[in-house]
Amino acid sequence: MCKWCMKHGAGGKWYLNARNYSNELAESMNLRAYLEEQWRNFEQVYIRKIMGVSSIGLGYKLKMPIIGRLIRWSVERMIHSESPNRNPVRADGHFGQVIPIEEAKLIMMNLAAEPIIRNYCMCRMMQKGIKDACCINFGLLSGVIEKLPRFIPENMKTRITREEAVEALEEQNQKGRVSTVWFQPVPYINAICSCEVPQCGGLRLRMDYGLYTVYKAEYVAEVNPDLCQGCKACVARCQFGAIRFSPTLERVIIDLTKCFGCGLCRDICHYNAIRLVPRDEVPGVKGKY
Amino acid sequence: MGKTKIKIDYSKCGNATGGIDPRSCGKCLFVCDPAVFVRHPAIGVKEENPYDPRCWQVTAVWLDLCTRCGKCVEVCPQKAITVSW
Ligand code: SF4
Ligand code: SF4
Ligand code: SF4
Ligand code: SF4
Ligand code: SF4
Repeated sequence: MCKWCMKHGAGGKWYLNARNYSNELAESMNLRAYLEEQWRNFEQVYIRKIMGVSSIGLGYKLKMPIIGRLIRWSVERMIHSESPNRNPVRADGHFGQVIPIEEAKLIMMNLAAEPIIRNYCMCRMMQKGIKDACCINFGLLSGVIEKLPRFIPENMKTRITREEAVEALEEQNQKGRVSTVWFQPVPYINAICSCEVPQCGGLRLRMDYGLYTVYKAEYVAEVNPDLCQGCKACVARCQFGAIRFSPTLERVIIDLTKCFGCGLCRDICHYNAIRLVPRDEVPGVKGKY
Repeated sequence: MGKTKIKIDYSKCGNATGGIDPRSCGKCLFVCDPAVFVRHPAIGVKEENPYDPRCWQVTAVWLDLCTRCGKCVEVCPQKAITVSW
């Protein structure tokens, strides 16, 4: 469990704590007007100067000797901010974690607050120009997004049932997308996304710039060498470059330091050769989210 | 590798007279494998109507990830993009 579980998990994982999904919490945090303002122009988040710096050329800026460290520090502070003085033009307190499909389904069935909607993925729309109704939002955020026509899927129901949400998640999993769960803002949870590197903004900032917008899952994948047939089906599923086929061993090997614990490799394996083990049980990656 | 600069001529794409609405194009976004571009509402444009095409534009944000492959320049129907270094 990470520090967010300690703070907001009520003894368990942060994203399995029912309180973090409740309307009462959203109301006590006064979030409606805030989220409306934030979502209206969310696509500006990388363009806008935040504390004097925009994300344009972020990679170059982060490499500047002292200023780079300062930028990193202030971005991390912003993404993980719990201050009630939130600013809707930034991404204050907005970050998430990778979760395996079974936990995403469990959240949809038992924890997510109604109404549940699906809408166009903002990241894919703003960075690929693609309309893909793969994001599932819920609770207070649903009503906020429903007012913004550009996110509303055409020829498709926006509001969906828990069962339909689970089906949608499974479909995304089969396509090879990674499930992620999001604080927006911490500790209120209102989204499960099905993301893909590199056009997911959260994964981009994590993978390319080492910013903790998305934490690795509570798990890592483990191959059973006796069961693996070396069919390589799992290799194509990993978005994180953590798994490769070894011609010497005639099976796959997994780099645990790169594994995000999404379980996509496990979900495709016809030989049950991969399982997820809790990150905390592997000393080398324990606590390394 | 030195810094990459990517310029978009907003008189040809979005945000000005004669340009096209980047929301009906987006070809640069689609062909760029490292996903360097972001399409967004322009900052500072008064939005009586947020769907006014002048309000939208494309910016190359993740410049350090550009591989200088030239696909965006080639695909742009408006010849609005220049990539230099
Ligand atoms: S976090 Fe993932 S699914 Fe959600 S909007 Fe971004 S890419 Fe799309
Ligand atoms: S899909 Fe399963 S059997 Fe095939 S290579 Fe991967 S782990 Fe081995
Ligand atoms: S090795 Fe498997 S569980 Fe780990 S990140 Fe890759 S696909 Fe996900
Ligand atoms: S030159 Fe290639 S990598 Fe660079 S922005 Fe254009 S399409 Fe993307
Ligand atoms: S390809 Fe050219 S015209 Fe089309 S959105 Fe990109 S910059 Fe604009």
